[in-house]
Amino acid sequence: MIEQLGNGLLLGVIIALGSVALSLLYGVTRIVNFAHGEIIALGAVMTLFFSSSPDSSLLFFDRYSPIGINFFGSIVISIILCGIFGASLEIFLFRPLRKNNFGNIAVLVVTIGLSIFLRHIYLLFASAKPSSFILELQRREDYFGIQLTPRNVQVLVLGFIVMILVGLFLTYTKTGKAMRAVRDSSDLASVTGINSDYIILVTWIFSSMLAGFTGIIQGVINNVRWNMGFLILLLIFAGTVLGGIGTSFGAMFGGFVIGVLVQLSVGLEFMDGHTEAKNALALGLMILILLIRPQGIFGTKDRIS
Amino acid sequence: MNKYITASLLLLGCIAYIFLSNDTGSARVFVNLITFAGVYGLAAIGINVHFGWTGLLNFGHAAFMGIGAYTTVLLIPHSLGREGVIISTGLPLPIAIIFGLIASALLGLLLGLPTLRLRGDYLAIVTIAAAEIFRLLVRDFENLTGGVYGIIQFSDSLQVYRPNFVDVISTKYDVSSAQLWVAILTWISIVLVIIILSRLQKSPWGRALRAVREDEDAVRALGKNAVWLKLQSFMLGAAIGGLSGIFLVFNYGTVQASTFVPVLTFYIWAALILGGVGSLGGPALGAIIFWVIIAGTDSISRLLFESPDGQQLAGVRFVIVGLLIMLFMIFRPSGILGKKEELLLDVK
Repeated sequence: MIEQLGNGLLLGVIIALGSVALSLLYGVTRIVNFAHGEIIALGAVMTLFFSSSPDSSLLFFDRYSPIGINFFGSIVISIILCGIFGASLEIFLFRPLRKNNFGNIAVLVVTIGLSIFLRHIYLLFASAKPSSFILELQRREDYFGIQLTPRNVQVLVLGFIVMILVGLFLTYTKTGKAMRAVRDSSDLASVTGINSDYIILVTWIFSSMLAGFTGIIQGVINNVRWNMGFLILLLIFAGTVLGGIGTSFGAMFGGFVIGVLVQLSVGLEFMDGHTEAKNALALGLMILILLIRPQGIFGTKDRIS
Repeated sequence: MNKYITASLLLLGCIAYIFLSNDTGSARVFVNLITFAGVYGLAAIGINVHFGWTGLLNFGHAAFMGIGAYTTVLLIPHSLGREGVIISTGLPLPIAIIFGLIASALLGLLLGLPTLRLRGDYLAIVTIAAAEIFRLLVRDFENLTGGVYGIIQFSDSLQVYRPNFVDVISTKYDVSSAQLWVAILTWISIVLVIIILSRLQKSPWGRALRAVREDEDAVRALGKNAVWLKLQSFMLGAAIGGLSGIFLVFNYGTVQASTFVPVLTFYIWAALILGGVGSLGGPALGAIIFWVIIAGTDSISRLLFESPDGQQLAGVRFVIVGLLIMLFMIFRPSGILGKKEELLLDVK
């Protein structure tokens, strides 16, 4: 079981970052965004597109020539593009819906349509086969009994730093405080002079950039594929529900726990030969939590009924 | 009345399209399309009971369809898995189907219990997760379900009931008699289900259900158990989904782990939203139009790509499915046949 701990930590960081982005957006806009996974995939797909050179013969973009710029440059460009994409979603799609008094249920169905649409746009532009970023191969080394490659350790540390920065941003900056105020009560927030349209826009940008970053580290750790966002989205939902939907730190915690548990369960005896079932286990756990403590570990009761 | 004229014209247009776009074998194409449209229409009627009548978001219909189909098929004579183990004894088909429907309804009960007391979006998350769990378990537990190798040789249980006139028609028009029989049964079921539902809709139970959708607190104040009403509706829709799943596998003649994938649910949602949420006949009409659109997307693929491969065909199909769901939900949420006042778009 211990040999799975390294993989568990990595998956935990991915899901924690994805969960906090999803949960923040939900808290501020009340949108359960099923297209969240596709924004995650966008970050990875964009980075792959920018960082691979046209002659690198990638399986993934077998029909479209990649560009071939520096890997870290492409990460920055991709994250910015994800932010712009989130902003345009809010400005051209979700803001008009909000102004026309669309209910949450209708908007949820729209995000499902959006998710199917985007995912298959990626499929049309890329190959169905998974592909990896062009990075040198590394051997796993021993860190306090946990087997990880040096790059994965860097990713792990970077992920934790980003999570701490997100926490600091929400707790101490003016925008972060305003976001939490809108989340708790948008009416009271507007009374105190907070422009809720502006805050929602900022939340979309912030959440999308965070999602894009999640996709990139997922791409570094595993690989890039057109439906990577959909596959991880359900685990992110499980993490968010465990921590408490609408909370930020709860979602981070819940996502991390789900990620570690999913990987550790691979080592369980009764799971032998049933590797696919590890995700089923996490989703089953989510249903169980909804049965006994629907508000999650850190959620409050008023958010659920 | 205007929308019924639109609906009839659309239907005629669809049939004309099928027969004009295929020079040879158009009857074969027609039967194939009408079978799938029937199966999807029946499934969409199930979701309509959830979403249109009760306001419940079910995005895991594939699981309800699948559990009904697997239960039925495993109870009748079949051949299972990689080695094709033949199980030649089993229950008579009608009894097996009843067990299949009960299994679907029980899954509905199981998923509904933890979530129906919570806000609507939790149900969406749980049902989509349940569909994924179902797919993973079916794939993983090969001894029971046949896994990716699936189950075969079970359709005889249905085809022994095939009356003679079906064979006469199928030889005359050169179509598969087995598929024609499935198509006839599916559409008979649709008519029966619609008749039962229209009776139910007017019954006190149906009115109470609509009241739950409109104002749950008011229903509670009148002493009705709103959660139990929602659960009943959820189980009813799940059982209808199970029936459509049974017809789907009898149409294929096989069932594998890849038959009931989560994307199946989205196809059915697209058909429902097209036809009209809340209307009785809307889902079936939507399913026909949906399948004609899907057939049409393949010609769009041929415009975009020189010789589209399977991946590009599927990609274009789903891009259009996604667009249809989004655009109809935004601009015409009541679909072709739905009533706007039946839709609660401002539900929070």
